[in-house]
Amino acid sequence: MANRAPMLRIGQQDLKCRQGCGFYGNTQFDGLCSKCFRERNDKQRKRLLIVTEKATEDNNDNIPSGPSSIAERRSPQHLLSLGRGKKQPETSQVESPSTMPKKKSIVPAVLQKTLKGKFPAVTNQQQQQQQQQPQQKRVPTATENQFMLQLRQMRLPDDAKHKLKSEIKRLDHEIRKYMNTNNAKNVDELSDLVQNAYTRFSNVVHNDPRFEMASSEDRDSAIDFFEKVIMTQNHNLLFSPYFTSDEESDVKVQKRIRQLSWITAKHLDCSIDEVNAEARDLVYNAISELVGIDSYYSPQEKLLCTVRCCRHIFELLKRATGGPASADDFLPALIFVVLKANPVRLHSNLNFVNRFTNASRVMSGEGGYYFTNLCSAIAFIENLNGESLSISAEEFDALMSGEQAFSTPWESALLACESLHLISENMKCMELLQKRNSMINTGITDFERELIDFQREVTEKVDTVMAKAPLTLLPIKTPAFLIKQARAHLAQDSVEAAMGHYQSNLLSGALSQHALSPKSKDIALEDAHNLTLKDTSINSVGRLSPLLQNQPQQQDQLFASPIFNYTPFDAVSLLEESSDGDVMMLGTEFQGGLTNINYDFDLSDQSGDNSVADESKLNLDEFDPLVQRPVATATPLLDTTTDSLIDCDVPGTAVLLPSPLKPEVANYRGFSNFDIPSISCNTGDFSSLGQDVNETMETNKK
Amino acid sequence: MRGIEGKVVVLGSRGVGKSRLVIRYIKNALHRAEEPTIAVSFFTCNIILDDVKIKLQIWDTAGQERFRAVAPMYYRNANAAILVFDLTQYKTFTEIKSWIQELHRNVQDPMILTLVGNKMDMQSHRAVSRDEAFVFASSIGATYFETSTETDQGLEQVFLSTAMGLVRLADEGKTHSLRSFQSTDSLAYTNGNTAFSYTAAALARNPDSAAFRLPYVHIGIPVDGQDVKTTGEGRLETPSWSIEHIALGEVENPRWCCY
Repeated sequence: MANRAPMLRIGQQDLKCRQGCGFYGNTQFDGLCSKCFRERNDKQRKRLLIVTEKATEDNNDNIPSGPSSIAERRSPQHLLSLGRGKKQPETSQVESPSTMPKKKSIVPAVLQKTLKGKFPAVTNQQQQQQQQQPQQKRVPTATENQFMLQLRQMRLPDDAKHKLKSEIKRLDHEIRKYMNTNNAKNVDELSDLVQNAYTRFSNVVHNDPRFEMASSEDRDSAIDFFEKVIMTQNHNLLFSPYFTSDEESDVKVQKRIRQLSWITAKHLDCSIDEVNAEARDLVYNAISELVGIDSYYSPQEKLLCTVRCCRHIFELLKRATGGPASADDFLPALIFVVLKANPVRLHSNLNFVNRFTNASRVMSGEGGYYFTNLCSAIAFIENLNGESLSISAEEFDALMSGEQAFSTPWESALLACESLHLISENMKCMELLQKRNSMINTGITDFERELIDFQREVTEKVDTVMAKAPLTLLPIKTPAFLIKQARAHLAQDSVEAAMGHYQSNLLSGALSQHALSPKSKDIALEDAHNLTLKDTSINSVGRLSPLLQNQPQQQDQLFASPIFNYTPFDAVSLLEESSDGDVMMLGTEFQGGLTNINYDFDLSDQSGDNSVADESKLNLDEFDPLVQRPVATATPLLDTTTDSLIDCDVPGTAVLLPSPLKPEVANYRGFSNFDIPSISCNTGDFSSLGQDVNETMETNKK
Repeated sequence: MRGIEGKVVVLGSRGVGKSRLVIRYIKNALHRAEEPTIAVSFFTCNIILDDVKIKLQIWDTAGQERFRAVAPMYYRNANAAILVFDLTQYKTFTEIKSWIQELHRNVQDPMILTLVGNKMDMQSHRAVSRDEAFVFASSIGATYFETSTETDQGLEQVFLSTAMGLVRLADEGKTHSLRSFQSTDSLAYTNGNTAFSYTAAALARNPDSAAFRLPYVHIGIPVDGQDVKTTGEGRLETPSWSIEHIALGEVENPRWCCY
C-alpha cells in the first residue's frame, strides 16, 4: 500500500482539459474534457472517412490520438497494473500511437493465434487480414497471453472454446462498432447491448450442443471468462465513457467527501475505535482494498475487491463488538471507511460495474450484496444531512463550510501526530494499570479483614469450648506410709539432701547463665521448697496454658518435673501431701492424671487467658536465679504426678509415664515464642529458652 | 432436481434481532458448530423440499431510520421479504407498517412476505398481541410466525415457509427475477423431523392444490388471476402453529385454522 498510494495522486493541473477550456480532462480522452474530445473526434472522423474510403470495419482507425500523449499521461490504473505485474511494461509501449485501434485488434489477434493450425480456413482469412494491414502485426500483450493460457486450461471441448472465442469477437466487434458510429450515444444503449450479449452467451452456454459435455461449473467459468475478456479489453471504451457524466459525479463525490472529513465514528454511531492501533490497521486494510477497486479492469475483480474490503470491516467489527456483527453495524462502518478512503473515480467504477457486469452478479451473491452496500453507502454520503448524523442543521452547515473548527481522532492521527497517538495509547495503558492496582488494593484490604475475622472467630470458638469443658485436676493423693517414710527421711538429712542432689541439679542450668552467690542459692532453695508445697495444694491447676504466664509457679514446678526425677524435692512435696492425709491407689491416679495432661496440653496452648493459674500470685520474681530460669516449664499437673512417681521409684516412672508426653514436650520447645511451655531433658537448654519466656512473661504482665 | 434461487431480504428496525434470526437459523440448520466467522450479513442456504432445491440468498439490512432512504437498493429484485419486529416493543411493529407501504411503492414483482414477531420468549414483556399481529399479517397477505432467537423456537418455519412461497412463485412463473435452474447436486440438507417439514413436502408435491396454497401478495402492478387482491377474509392462511403454541397453552382462533 505504501508504494501504491503516491502513484494514485494526480496533480490538479493534470486533471484539467488540455484545450484549456477549464473543465476536467480525462486520460481516456487523451487529456481532453469530454466536450473537446467529442469535437475533435468528429473532425477527425470526417477527415478519415474521406481519406480511407475502402477501409473495412475492422481497420477504420478513425481516432488516432497524439502519440506523445499516451506515454506522458498514463492513467493511474495503468501504473498500478504495471506495478503489480499484471500488465508488463511493454503492454502500453508496444501499443503504438493510437490506443483505440490497437485495442480493437487485440481480441482478434488472440483468437487468431490460438486458432492457428486447428482451423486452416480461419488462418487463411487471418493471413489475408494481416496482409491488408501489416502495420498491426505485433506480439500479443501479457494480458492477451494470460487470457490465451486461461482459455487453453479451460475444461471445455475444442469446439466450445471456438464458440466462446467467436462470441467474444462478436461482442467486441459490436462494442467497437457502436462506439465508432456517428450518431448520438447513450450509455444505456451500450449497457443493453452488453447485457443482451451476456444473456445470449449464457443461453448459448446452457443450450448449445457444443457445451453439452461441460459441467455447470465449467459453464459458469466460461461465462465469467467471456465477461472478463470483453471488459478488460474494452475497459478504455466502456469505463466512464465520454458521453456520460460519470466524471462530474466523481469529482462531486470526491469534493463532498473532502468536505465531510470532520465526520467521526461517533457521528455515524458505529463501533470503530479510531484511536486503537489495531482497529486502525484493519481500517487501513479496508481502505486499501477500497482504493484498489479502481486498479482492476474487470467488474469481477472490482467486486472481489469490494468483498475483501467488506470482510476487513467485518473482522474489525467482530473485534470491536466481540460477536458477529449485523448489518445494523456494518453499513455505518462501511460509510466511515468510504469517507476516510475517499476513493478515486468512485462513481465511474460503480457505474461501470452496474452497467457492464452480468446483471445477475450484481443482483445476487455475496459480491452483489456488498456492492449494494457500497452503493447505498455512497448514496447515503451524497444525501447526508445534519439529521442523519444526529446533529443540528446549523452545526452541520457550519462544519461543512469550514466555519466551525473540528478535530477528529482520525485526522489528528493522520497528521503525523504519531507521538500524540502514542501518548493516548499509553494513557489507556496507564488507566488499565491503575484499575488493576486499585483492584489489588481492595483485594488486600478484604483479605486482611477476612484474616482478622477468621482469627476472632477461631478465638471465640476456642474460648467457648474451653468454657464448656474446663479441665479440673484433683491433686494426687499420696499413700500415708510413703509420707511417713519421707518425713523420716527428711528429718534425717534434710540439709544434705536439699543441698546435695537437689542443689546440684537445680544450679547446673542456672550457673550456665548466671553466676549465683551461694547465699541467693540458699534462699532460692528455701523458697522453692515452700512454693512447691504450695503448688501441690492448688487444686485447679487444670488450666494448662497459664504455665508461661505465671513463671514463678513454673519455676517451682521445675523441680518437680517427672523427667528430672528429683527425689529429694519430691520428698518435700510429699510432706505437704501427707498433710492431707489421703491415701490413694498410686498407679491409677497417676495414669489418669498423665493422660489428662497430655490432652489438655494441646488445647491450652492457644489460650491461656482464662487460666486459673493466672490468679496465683507468687513473689518469686525477686529471686534472680529462678526468674532467669523460667523455662522450667512443667505443668503443675506434672509436678503432682512426679510427686507420686517418685514415691514409687525411678524405674516406675519410666514404665508408667505415657510415652506421648515426652515427644510432645520436646516438640514445643522450638515454639517458645508462641507461649508454649516446653520441658527439656537438657538442663543446658534452659538458658536459651529462658530468655524468650522471660520476655513473654514481661509482656503479659504489661 | 429442480432448483430455484431466490433473494430474500430481511427488513426491520434496529435491534429486533434480524441478524440474530438468520444467524441462529443458519447455525442450526447446517449443524455448524461454530457461528459464521466472517461474512455475517449475507448468507446462502439451501433448502430441499421434496424434489425442489431452493437456494435462498438472505440479505440482511441496516434497520436504522437514517438508512431508510437507501433501503430500496437492497430489496430491489428481491423475491421474498422477511419482516421482523420485536414482540416486546410496539414501536417496531408500527414501523413494519411503514416498511410494507414502502415495499408496495417500490416493488413491482410479486413478493413473498413473512412477518416475524421475535423475542417470544419474553412473554412477560410482550407488547404486541398475537391476534393483532395476525390480523395485520393477513391484511398484507403475509404469513405470520413468532420466534425466539434465544430458545431457537420457530426459526425453521420462517425459512421453510419462505422457501415454499418461492416454489409456488416459480411454478406460477409470474416473476422473472427468480432464477430457476436444473440442479444436479445431491441432497445437501434435509430438514429435521418436524411435522411442519412433512407438510411442507406435501405442499411442494401438490403445488396446484388450492387448499395448500400459501398466501402471497402481488405488490404494485396487478397481475391477472384469482388471488390478485388479498382481503384478509375468505382466504386460506397458514396458521403459525407449532409445538410451542401448544406448550404455551394458547388457543388459536379457529378462523385462522385451515388444517
